Amino acid sequence: MNLLLAGLGASLGAMLRYFFTNYGKKHWEKIGNKYSNLPFPTLFINLTGAFILGFIFSIGVPPFFYALVGTGVLGGYTTFSTLNTELVSLFHDRDYRIFILYALTSYLGGLFLVYVGFYLGKLF
Amino acid sequence: MFEQVKNYLSVAVFAFLGGIARAGLNASFNFYGTFWGNIIGCFLLAFFTYFFFEFKDFYEWITVGIGTGFIGAFTTFSTFNLEVLKNFQAGKPSIALLYFFSSIVFGFAFAFLGSRMGTNLGKILTRED
Repeated sequence: MNLLLAGLGASLGAMLRYFFTNYGKKHWEKIGNKYSNLPFPTLFINLTGAFILGFIFSIGVPPFFYALVGTGVLGGYTTFSTLNTELVSLFHDRDYRIFILYALTSYLGGLFLVYVGFYLGKLF
Repeated sequence: MFEQVKNYLSVAVFAFLGGIARAGLNASFNFYGTFWGNIIGCFLLAFFTYFFFEFKDFYEWITVGIGTGFIGAFTTFSTFNLEVLKNFQAGKPSIALLYFFSSIVFGFAFAFLGSRMGTNLGKILTRED
């Protein structure tokens, strides 16, 4: 049952990610241009997803809700494979400055924000 | 318009399967499942992305379904970070750090390998001679 809920949530989360990626490519170009090739949509998706999951985990939700929203929606919304495929693309383009910037902001930012979400949830 | 609806539907259906596969791995192997799912997903997404580069104008709903939908939902960034936090909180800082850094290193290494293999196989299959 929890697997089905996770699958349904992942459908929603992935559609949301697809929407933000398309939207970001069109409307966030100004931010993107500032840092040339930084994949801003995926960065935004992964950081917000890590924050919200930390929060949901710490407030303590029923298992079915965690399966649907935590494992499902947020798991399908965030992505580890796109992050790394984009890193490979930056590496192939020899854009090492943005490569380092993207890797650092993703991994340090993700860890930082999951903690922020976690401790914020503890306040509730 | 119709193309966009088709892409979204494809993402939803493929992500349903990818999400179930990931949740199954996680239910069976805990964070080791997330780790291997993420690593395998990195290889697969880079492979397919660079493989399909060699095929101009391949059906978009298929590439979006497999890449953004299935593999995107099969891998996860949020659970990865939460599991690092969980290991720290369980008083296992060495496992947390090992999980954190090995995911970063192997994720990139397997994506790099996938990109090379995808490009090479794509070039072989599209060669006209």
